[in-house]
Amino acid sequence: MSMYWDEAMERAEAGGLREYQLHLLRATLARAKNSPFYRRLALDQIESLAAFQAEVPFTRKQDLREHFPYGFLATDRKQVVRLHSSSGTTGNPTVIFHTKNDIEEWTNLVARCMYMIGTRPGDVFQNTMGYGLFTGGLGFHYGAEAIGALTIPIGPGNSKRQIWFMQNFGTSVVHILPSYALRLYTHFEELKIDPKSLNLRIFIIGSEPHSEAMRRQIEELFGVKAYNSYGLSEVCGPGVGFECLEQDGIHLWEDHFLVEIIDPETGEVLPPGEEGELVLTTLKREAVPLLRYRTGDLTRILPGKCPCGRTHVRIDRIKGRADDMLIINGVNLFPIQIEKTLLGIPGVGKNYLIEIRKENYMDKLYIKAEVDQAIFEGTLAGLTQLQNRIADELRAELSVNPVVQLCEPGSLPVWEGKAKRVNDLRNSE
Amino acid sequence: MAYHLSIFVENKPGKLESITKILAEQGINIYGIYIASAGEFGVVKIIADRLAEAYQLLKDEGFTVSKRKVSIVLLPDRPGEMHKLLTLLARHQINLDDCYGFVLEAKSQAALVLEAEKHSLLEEVLQANHYQLLSEAKLSKG
Repeated sequence: MSMYWDEAMERAEAGGLREYQLHLLRATLARAKNSPFYRRLALDQIESLAAFQAEVPFTRKQDLREHFPYGFLATDRKQVVRLHSSSGTTGNPTVIFHTKNDIEEWTNLVARCMYMIGTRPGDVFQNTMGYGLFTGGLGFHYGAEAIGALTIPIGPGNSKRQIWFMQNFGTSVVHILPSYALRLYTHFEELKIDPKSLNLRIFIIGSEPHSEAMRRQIEELFGVKAYNSYGLSEVCGPGVGFECLEQDGIHLWEDHFLVEIIDPETGEVLPPGEEGELVLTTLKREAVPLLRYRTGDLTRILPGKCPCGRTHVRIDRIKGRADDMLIINGVNLFPIQIEKTLLGIPGVGKNYLIEIRKENYMDKLYIKAEVDQAIFEGTLAGLTQLQNRIADELRAELSVNPVVQLCEPGSLPVWEGKAKRVNDLRNSE
Repeated sequence: MAYHLSIFVENKPGKLESITKILAEQGINIYGIYIASAGEFGVVKIIADRLAEAYQLLKDEGFTVSKRKVSIVLLPDRPGEMHKLLTLLARHQINLDDCYGFVLEAKSQAALVLEAEKHSLLEEVLQANHYQLLSEAKLSKG
């Protein structure tokens, strides 16, 4: 059996791939012209990659938000069969639409990734990522089924149940948050079960930054090979890029995405090898084609050919973010969502602080909020009500469970100039 | 009519001390103190003479403080008196949010601070049953 899902495409020689990209780019530009947002650009005169980079401005997450809900829709609304969305309602979430073809292409991409790392018909795939609006659930689900793997849509949490399924159905491939993998191991220990005695073979880890050391730790603890997955919901979800068996960089699929690395400050396109912000142009998306979309992810293009034989470009492990996006247990959120939520609650004072810690391998979000002196009416019940309301509203906005700590007015640090309200202690503890 | 102070504090060492320091420096006499805690934070209730002054002092120092209406009932300092009073309140369906006491003269007179949502009913019932209430003015005279 071949080691490739789509050998011709995965091993396409560079010249042919560039030509194909240009062909797809022209088609994308023609489609993009149908969306209210891109209509204003003179896209039909662009004939080369150089002209594309010179003429077309970057698209930012902010643009997606500001043109909510249909500003980027390039097809008839009736052709849309699904939507996925980021969390939250403040300042509009990012909503991405999919046509039937979009779902098919996306499914095909995820299948290509999973096949690349050894998933085959007959494998049992346990997807411990969240289903629903988050793309990590359904995205992998469809890909695994396309390969012909028995797919268990278990979703996150309930560690004992996860282990029970792994034991009883011989799970061989698991999609898991790296921090949750470490947490899950402690449950194996508690149950006195050696994960190496099970049928586990492959872990797909992604959705949050992790180090090489953490990957090796997961591999050793579970006796598996763990592969880094890269994706973002704006251009489909998972499947944008994936590590091959070499575990040396993430292949980005260039028959679906045009890859650029830019200087996040100046917007200048950087030569291969230099670190900057990853910018993607979708080449096959129908419902929401995105041109030069700034992912916010910092990385670099790796030089040289990959021994796996695939010709598609490789990027380095994501180094961090160009913006202030936070990733809490794989959930993406922005500090502004927290600020807007807090300011909308009477009784909350002017100052607040966001703290993120590691507890039992998982991220924990702490919100320290000052109480508003002016409306304090002096009861403990009133304070606990306020505390619960803050937690409830943040949970609804962020899809993350925060710990809310009420603080005395004036007790939190005050900054001159730009406030530093996010204190990320995950790597320092 | 009487009040006590209700102060929001984080549950950390030195918090109470920072309150008592301010009152001590101004020669304000604390009669009773009571802490309701919800883990990481709580509310400190204080009954003192010159309460309005104490309120302003703490507010000026940046404390989150409010004045709340209470009834201060004078009771003979002997077994059974408190039980008698609470039985009366229960009979009238008066729910207490706060209840703490202090002794005015040992073996002779005690005071019980009562805070209830049904404050006016509480005062009515107490007066109808001939309980003696301590006013803010009387407290300040000591």
